[in-house]
Parts: sequence; C-alpha cells; structure tokens
Amino acid sequence: MKILIFAEQRDLQLKKHALEAVRTGRALADQTGGEAVALVIGQGVKNSAATLAGFGAHRVLIADDAKLAAYSTTAYAKIIADVANAEHADVVLMGASAMGKDCAPRAAVRLEAGLASDCIACTVENGEIVATRPVYAGKALTDIRISTAVKVLTLRPNVFSAGTSSGATATPAPVSVALTDADLATVVTGTSKSAGKMDVAEADIIVTGGRGLKGPENFGMIEELAGVLGGAVGASRAVVDAGWRPHEEQVGQTGKTVSPSLYIAVAVSGAIQHLAGMSSSKYIVAINKDKDAPIFQVADYGIVGDAFEIVPALTQETKKLLGK
Amino acid sequence: MPVRSVVFAVVLIASLIFFVANVTRLVRLLRTGKPANRLDHPGVRVRRMLRIAIGQSKLFREPIPGLMHAFIFWGFLVLTTAILESIGQGLSDGFTLRFLGPAYPVLAFMQDLFAGLVIVGVFTALYRRLILRPKRLAVEGHGQGDAILILLTILLIMVSMIGQNAVHAVMTAPDAGRFIARAVQPLFAGVDVSTLGTLYSIFWWMHIVLVLGFLNYLPFSKHLHILASIPNVYLANTQPRGALAPIDLEAEGVERFGVTDVEDLTWKQLLDGYACTECGRCTAACPANGTGKQLSPRKIIVDIRHRLMERGEAPTAAGSGNEPAQKTLLHGFISEQELFACTTCMACVQECPVSIEHVSSIVDMRRALVLMESNFPPEVQVVFRNLETNFSPWAFPSSSRMDWADGMDVPLIANTPDAEVLFWVGCAGAFDARYRKVTQAFARLMQQAGIRFAVLGTEEKCTGDSARRLGNEYLAQTLMKENVATLNKYNVKTIVATCPHCFNTLRNEYPQFGGTYEVVHHTDFLVRLINAGKLSITKEQAAGITFHDSCYLGRYNDIYDAPRSALTSIPGVRLEEMERSRSRGFCCGAGGGRMWMEEHEGTRVNIERTREALALKTDVIATACPFCMTMLSDGVKAEGASDRVQVKDVAELLVAASSKET
Amino acid sequence: MKLIACINHVPDTATRVSIGADGKSIDRTGVTFVLNPYDEFAVEQCLRLKEKNGGEVIAVSLGGDAHKETLRKALAMGVDKAVLLKDDSPRDSFAVAHALAEYAKAQSPDAIFFGKQSVDADDAAVGPMVAELLGMPSVTVVVKMDVNGTDVVAEREIEGGREVVATKLPAVFTAQKGLNEPRYPSLKGIMAAKSKLIEEIAPAAVPARVQVTAMRKPASKNPGKIVGTDVSAVPELVRLLHEEARVI
Repeated sequence: MKILIFAEQRDLQLKKHALEAVRTGRALADQTGGEAVALVIGQGVKNSAATLAGFGAHRVLIADDAKLAAYSTTAYAKIIADVANAEHADVVLMGASAMGKDCAPRAAVRLEAGLASDCIACTVENGEIVATRPVYAGKALTDIRISTAVKVLTLRPNVFSAGTSSGATATPAPVSVALTDADLATVVTGTSKSAGKMDVAEADIIVTGGRGLKGPENFGMIEELAGVLGGAVGASRAVVDAGWRPHEEQVGQTGKTVSPSLYIAVAVSGAIQHLAGMSSSKYIVAINKDKDAPIFQVADYGIVGDAFEIVPALTQETKKLLGK
Repeated sequence: MPVRSVVFAVVLIASLIFFVANVTRLVRLLRTGKPANRLDHPGVRVRRMLRIAIGQSKLFREPIPGLMHAFIFWGFLVLTTAILESIGQGLSDGFTLRFLGPAYPVLAFMQDLFAGLVIVGVFTALYRRLILRPKRLAVEGHGQGDAILILLTILLIMVSMIGQNAVHAVMTAPDAGRFIARAVQPLFAGVDVSTLGTLYSIFWWMHIVLVLGFLNYLPFSKHLHILASIPNVYLANTQPRGALAPIDLEAEGVERFGVTDVEDLTWKQLLDGYACTECGRCTAACPANGTGKQLSPRKIIVDIRHRLMERGEAPTAAGSGNEPAQKTLLHGFISEQELFACTTCMACVQECPVSIEHVSSIVDMRRALVLMESNFPPEVQVVFRNLETNFSPWAFPSSSRMDWADGMDVPLIANTPDAEVLFWVGCAGAFDARYRKVTQAFARLMQQAGIRFAVLGTEEKCTGDSARRLGNEYLAQTLMKENVATLNKYNVKTIVATCPHCFNTLRNEYPQFGGTYEVVHHTDFLVRLINAGKLSITKEQAAGITFHDSCYLGRYNDIYDAPRSALTSIPGVRLEEMERSRSRGFCCGAGGGRMWMEEHEGTRVNIERTREALALKTDVIATACPFCMTMLSDGVKAEGASDRVQVKDVAELLVAASSKET
Repeated sequence: MKLIACINHVPDTATRVSIGADGKSIDRTGVTFVLNPYDEFAVEQCLRLKEKNGGEVIAVSLGGDAHKETLRKALAMGVDKAVLLKDDSPRDSFAVAHALAEYAKAQSPDAIFFGKQSVDADDAAVGPMVAELLGMPSVTVVVKMDVNGTDVVAEREIEGGREVVATKLPAVFTAQKGLNEPRYPSLKGIMAAKSKLIEEIAPAAVPARVQVTAMRKPASKNPGKIVGTDVSAVPELVRLLHEEARVI
C-alpha cells in the first residue's frame, strides 16, 4: 500500500504526533509492501521536512508557499487530497490534532474516502487495515474497516510510538501549489497561547488540591506539577470556600464539571459534591494520606501518603520523563 | 336630640363610612388575587384561631414581648365593651351598661385591670422600641414612626378613658371595681362641678375621637394587622405544612406560571401582607438573614403589601414586551438573589404569630423565575439536567443506584411482591459514599429485625423535592408522576425513607398526584422496632451526643422525639441539646435546593450551625438527614474539628450498639 | 439569517456503556438519551444570532423517531422549526453528512452549526464533511465568534491556545464548550414545543464507507489500585501513567 502521511508543523516545528504518524505509516507500508510518503505543508518547511526520513519516510514532499504560511482548513484539505490523488495513495494518515481533526474529514470527502478518526491502534489483517478507535468518551472501543479505495485515518497523539530518528534525511520534493481565493476560504489570522493559567473546564490534565494541603501557600507545588504536565489547577469546594483559591478553579457539583484524560486529586477526600464533577475523567490519580478517603474508590491509581513529599517527587519524575 | 349627640352621630357615621369604604377597598384588592380554598375544616380553624390568635401562643415563644403584646391585645378585647359604652353615651346621654347589674362591677374591674395592663404593655413596647432596640424591630421607612404613633394613640385612649372614669367617679359615686379610676380620682378632688362636666366631655371626646381615628388609621398602617391577623390565622393553611401547592400545568390557555406580580398570588397570600405588623420574628429566625444574606422573610411579606397598595386594583398588563417594563413584585421589589437564598426551613412560618406563609410565596416567585424566565444560579442548571437525564441531582448513572447493596442481599420490589415495606433509598443514599453507610446501616438493622423490605433499585428516581423547591414545578411533577406510577404498579402501601426530603415529599406531596402511602421516617421506624422488641440495642456507647433537627423532619412533619428516643435507647448515651433545637432548630443550610448552590453572600449557614453544635463539646453530632450530614460534616472539617467530633446518622449509631452486630 | 443547527440524540455522558448483543454497538436498554451536549452550544449560538440579526433557526437531526425528543428540546429552547431526517439504520459519518448536506443545500442557509463532536461516535467529522459537500468553509471547535455582515472572525481551540480564523458566510461551524452558555428552556417553550409539528423527510440511502466490525469494553481499569504508600511509589505511578494509561 502506498501511505501518504500529512506531517503537521507549527512554527516550522514538526509536531510529535507527526513523527508518530510517519513511523506508523512506515510500519504499515512495510507490512503491506508499499511506500511511506510524508507531506509537509507550510512556508519554509524544507529543512524540518527533511528530517522525516529519519522517522521512516521513504520520500518527503513539501507544499511550500506563502499562501500556506498560516493554516487554512480549505487549502490544506485540498492539498492533502490533491497530493494523495497524484500519488495514488491508498492510505492517508495524520495526527488527530486540532489541525488533523479539522482538515481530515474534508480531505476524506474530496478523496471519496472512508475516515477513521482518533485511532489508537492500526494493524494489518489479511492485507487489510483494521483501526481501533474509542467511542462513547473511551467507554468502548470499536474495530473499524474502511471499504473505500482510499482510506483516511487520524491517529491519536501520544499513543503511537515515534521512536528515535535514525538521523537519515531526505531531500523534500516540492509539489505544485495552485490555490484560488475559494481554496483559501478560511485563513488563520493569528494564534494565542493560553496566557498563564489554563481554564480547568477545558484542560486535558487537571491537578486539584484539597483541604489537606492546609493552606493557600501550599498550592505552589500543585501549580508546578500542573505546569510540568501542561495542565490546569483545580480546587475542591472546601478550598474555594476557605478563600484559598478562586471560584473559577472549583471542580464539582457546584463548580466546573470536567472530564480530562488525567485528573490528579491531591489531598482531596472525594466528597460526593466533588466526585459529581470529575468522576467521568478518563484516569484518576489520588494522593491522600487517609486510605479510607472516598476518592480512592474512583481512582485508577492511588498513593496513600503525604502529599507534601509525593507531589514534589512526582513533579521531578514527570520532568525527567518529559525531558523538561 | 341634643346637639352633642347629633354632632357625634355625624362623626360616627362619617368615620364608619370612611372605615367601611377603606376596608372594602382592601377587600377588593384581595379579590384581585387568585382563588384559594381556605374555608375547609372549620373545626380545626376555630381551634387554631383560639390557640394562636386569641391565646397568643406563638407570641409567648418570646415571653416578655409575648406578655407585652398579650396585655395590649387582650386589653383591646375587654375594652371593646368600654368603647361600646362610650358610643352609646355619645348617641344617648347617660347611656351606661350598668343595667348589667351585678356583672357591671366585674366588667368595670376587668376594664380597669386591662387598661392598666395595656398601659404597662405600651410602656414596655416603647421601652423596647426606643431604648432596647432589638435587631428584629428595626424596620425600614415609616415603620418606626408608625409604631410610635400607634403606641401613643393607644396610651392616650387609655388615659382618656381612665380620666373619664375618674371624673365620673368624682361627679357621682365610684363604680365598684374601677380601682384605677378610684386611684386617679384624687387628682380631680375639689374641682368644681361645671369644670368636671367639661373635663368629662373633653375626656369622652378625646377617647372616642382617638378610637375612631385609630380605627381609620389602621387601613393605612402596618397596624392593619389588628384587623387582618385574626382572619389570617383562621384562614391559614390546613394542608400539611410540608406540601407545596401544585400548579396545573395542563390548564388550557395558561401562559403565566408562578408569581411575577401580586395578581399571581392567591388572595390569602395577599392577606398575609395585611396581617404582617413587621414584628420581625420571622427574619430573626431566618438562617439566611442571620448569616448575612439579603433575604428577609419579613421584607418579602411587606413587599407584597406595598406592591399591592401601589398597583391598586388594576392588574398589571401581561408583558407583551412593547410597553415600558413595569416594576413588578418580582424584580421591582424582590430580587432573585433574595429568593434563591431561602433554605425553605420554615423557621419564619413557625415563628409567625399570625400564621403568615412566607415559604409558599417565596417558592411561587422562584417558579416564575425558573418556568418563565429560566433565571436561576448557573449551578442549578446542572441539577435540572441531571434530574432530567439521570433522575438524580448528581451526574451518576441511574444504573448504579443499587451499587450500595453489593453483597447485602437486598431484594428488589419487582421480585418481592409480598414485601411489607418499601425502603426508599434516595439519591444520597444510593450515590453518596458517605451516606451509603447510613443506607447500609439502616438496611442491616431492618434485616436484624426480620423486616421483609424491598427496594425499587434502578426504578427509583429523585422524589422531586429539590426541583420543586427550586421552582421547577414542571420537572418536579414529571419525577413525581413517574415515581407514583412505579409505586402504584407495585401496589406499595408503606414506605420507609432515610432522607427527610424524600420522606416529606412522598408523604405530603405525592397524594397530590395519586400516590397515597403510609410514609415513615427511618428514625420513627427504628423506634417502633425498638419498642416492639425487634431490635436489641445493648452495646454501651459512652458518648455525648447532640442531635441536629432536620427542618423537613421537625418543623415540616413534627418529628422531634423519634430520633431522640432512638438515641437515648443506646446505653451510655448522654443527649445534649443545642440552644436552638426542636421547633427552633437552626437549618443546616441545604434545604430548598440550597444544597446545590454556592453560598457567596454573607457567612455560611452550615458553619454557624456547626459552631453551635461544637460548643457543646459532644463526641458526636447526630443527624437524620443526608443533607444535614453533608453540611455539618463540611462544617466540622472547616472548623478543624474532625479529630474530636464525628457526624453520624441515628441509624449508624444504633447499628453500632446493636447486639446482633459483630 | 437562515441558520441550521444539526443536532444528535446520544446517550447521556454519565451512562454506563455495555456492549449490545450484536457485538458492534451498545446495549441501549436503560440508557438515557439526551441532546448531544456540544450541540446545545450550536443551538444556542443559532438562537443568539437570530436574536441579534433576525431570521430563522432550523434544527435538523438524522435518526429514528427517538430523535424527536431531542428535536423537541431544541424547539423548547426556541428554534423555529425542527426537521427529522428519518432513518433508523446505522450510518457512518459520511452517510450522515451526506443526508444533512442534501437537506441543507435546499435551504441555502447562511450558517450551519454543529457541536464539535457527537459524544457517541466521537469522530468530529460530520460538520467539516457537510461543509466540504456544500463547498462551504468550515471552522471547527469554535469557542468565540463575531459575525459582521458576512464576515466572521472565529476563535478555535488548538493545543495550548487558540487560533483566530477569518472566513465568510455561508459557512459551517462546530461549537466547543465556552462558546456560550446554553439556555434552559422555559416552561412556555416546553409547552409550545409539545404541539409543534416535526417535519419528517426520508433521506436517500448512502453506502457506508466505514464498517464497525467489533465493539468491546476497554481493558478494564482497576479502580482503587493503590500504587504504594509512600514517596517510593512515584516512579511506578509515572510509569503507569505513561505506559499503561498513556496520558502523559
């Protein structure tokens, strides 16, 4: 099979999920006796695109144009589809990122392709691709077969391994870019980083502190851990009532209802009012010195112990893992 | 006919016409309200009127002010005879009631006695208002001037009457029994006869003019309560106090729900406004007001009167959106912040000496906010949604309702048609990890007592209490009707509930929707089991315990003794009472849907109550309600007292003391 | 403005999911279905645009009769018209998008709104597919938007921040939490919704492009797992989060 991988870059940096997608594309190509071709879209992407060979791309293509400097849903979808057609790709892969999820469905329609989005596994059975993807917020998994000639899959970030680069580089081949105004019907005119604090309602990782932290001055370590994880700080009702943290951080029945991928509850006992707001989180970690605290009943992983020792250690260990 | 009589007759007729006209206007205003049937159960009504109005029973809950008021009130009743006599004299010179013969001296004695007591009462009242100035008497606007004016008028009516009697005694012979007139008599000794005659006339005119003036001042004053309170007590609700009146949601052509303005209130709710004399007992007892919230139940009732007077007889045009926004009762006088601060604890209604029903008016206005405007605190929307989809205020799936019973062999009613009692577990009992322990404790006690009980399991839904009290009558009725259908399907006769909110709604409100059952609270049920010898509570638990009354158990359903006798059945238990207990119990802060709301204003109700409990230094604070348990547990944690006091349900304490418990 | 809100009828997020007898879908018994939570933001945004600019809001849902319940919810919130594209059979995203696009084409709307994803299939694909089928621009995961004539400036959520997107109507938008606070229907709205007619249209069949061959529960998590009782458990916790849960 011929696999086309749209490798996303932002600010000329290839995203980690792009590398994961290239590595996965190569694996699929190897299993089916095909070729893995990577495509990078943007302006001035040549150098970063070259490195994709190190992650397994047989060839690297670039759509390099001033009009593509900023992300455009319509233009990117068109280019992905046009390149896939030109390359006679059987499979189009990309990360299920904000960008990938945005343009993949449009590219799929253009390619008359079936789409499997947010896949967490992708194997070849009897020469056919079988994708696994979560549904119902991860409460069930489905195996998917795509019956169209061309197949589009987006891969959930951080699930597939990117491995390390072999160090190989390729010379990217430019593809022709011909875009009309209609193709640029949407254009990104700017981006903003979440300034400072992330909103707990929208965060994918939340570290919440409870009354067991004894005082507002001890939230520094919670903020630090949340910072390292790229998550938001949450607070229990008791902590907000005590005036230690602002109400917008409150998680629970009368605060924000959240369902992040990872919820770390530090020194939170887990009264129903709190559980009602976070028990649908995908993974819950509880750190509490009271082994009978109800939070352990909903936690996937628990450490019974002193938060003042465990949280700094967790921050250090996470930093190590993430290479920060 | 002497000129004086003619003049007086004219004055009398004029003031009666004026009075009747004003009262008629007030009655016409009442008639702009919605209908309410308040004439049923006349026996109950008469007895209650005798006890509460004539007997002043509610007033005596505060002994000194109670006695003060009773002196004035009873004085007025007795002195009506003197007023009649004065009127008679005015119309026909020399008219007296002396034809009563030997009864007259007794009447004369009573008149003097009560005139004296009224004067004592008036001075006490003036002393309280002007010197002591208790917080609850602080009234807005003209209230204080109004009160002083009335008190002085009453004083002068008494003084003129006594003066008249004293002069009369000097002129003729003192009446036997008129001991005050006789005591004052020496003041007029030596005054010549014609001066005495003039004085007599002056006192008489003064007396009668003040009386007629007083009468005609009433319709314009907060002292309208003198006219309205006895009828208000007679017309008070005879339905269970814990039952809110249903809205007919299927009524054709009705597009206005709840109370936006005075015409949406019943005439009885309007009469509450007339009956209020702004004594402030309600507001003094209000947990929201006491912890710094804007809500004052007195202000709600006074606002009803003020808005009714301001609007007059023409109902507000239903807002079509084009005309300038009218200042309605809701928003114009009463804010949503006030309304949503109410815990529906009923302390105001309990304390009101004239049987005003504050809570129903508050909930009726909430209904307009929710049903008409979708205007409520954002956290309440979460509750409504959860109730709609999970049939529980918390977002836990209905399918996990039976998880509490894992490994406990608790039968479902679907498989146990011969169960003698249905155990209503409630949402907290099913989902709250803390309260599940209470559910399990109570189930174990029933098992130990050999009770054949069953549960609805996943068929149970929230009873609708919170939705109803939050004003979402539509959602509440949906839940209630669905539960009634389920209960009736299983032909349920007896229900036992651990949650007083479930208990109250099932017992007092489900009959409105075709669900009539014998509903028992678990504390009551446990006491019956103990008394029947089915439970043996033998293990000594040396502990000091204070019991916190749930409003929905106590004031709503008059259950004060059952939890206490359950607790004292445990050997070694020392029961200590908080200052505010039983019918004076102070709310935990969670009722009326407050459980689901943030408390941003003032201090927290649960902290106030927890501090009161902690002051007794008992080992245990006992509760009989999941909401109270949550609020007090939170309070104990916030006060840093978790290591010295436990919050436990009565059932948990009993199970620990049960001889069958290993 | 003519606005279309495409809405779905999905299991409530608190529902416990169990696999149905066919092994390819969930067991629907005892499951409460609701208006897809993200679609509420879509409906609300349409209502706000209409309140500001005038016009009409149509709610459309594809599915069986059960979807009428969700359409009534949209009517109760205040949409002017509800349309059921009645088809009980399972459809993949493209087949759903196709039916919606066919309906929308005939309406010539100024804007079409979706939730950012439907919390059943969670594939976030139907909105952009409809846009592509109609040749309209699309902006997904919108948390803020300003409409000025036909010019739209929208903010969409991306990793660690936001992207500002400029586009022109007619266009397709998918709504994320934060775009607005959906209203709670008033009783008047609920009552009025009960008597409104829901238009039913039978959409054309479209061959499926994607087949679900199996559905299963994820490897069962083990709630209550105590990794350790002191600080020495931290490396193991991090390993589990990284390798087993794959959340960091």
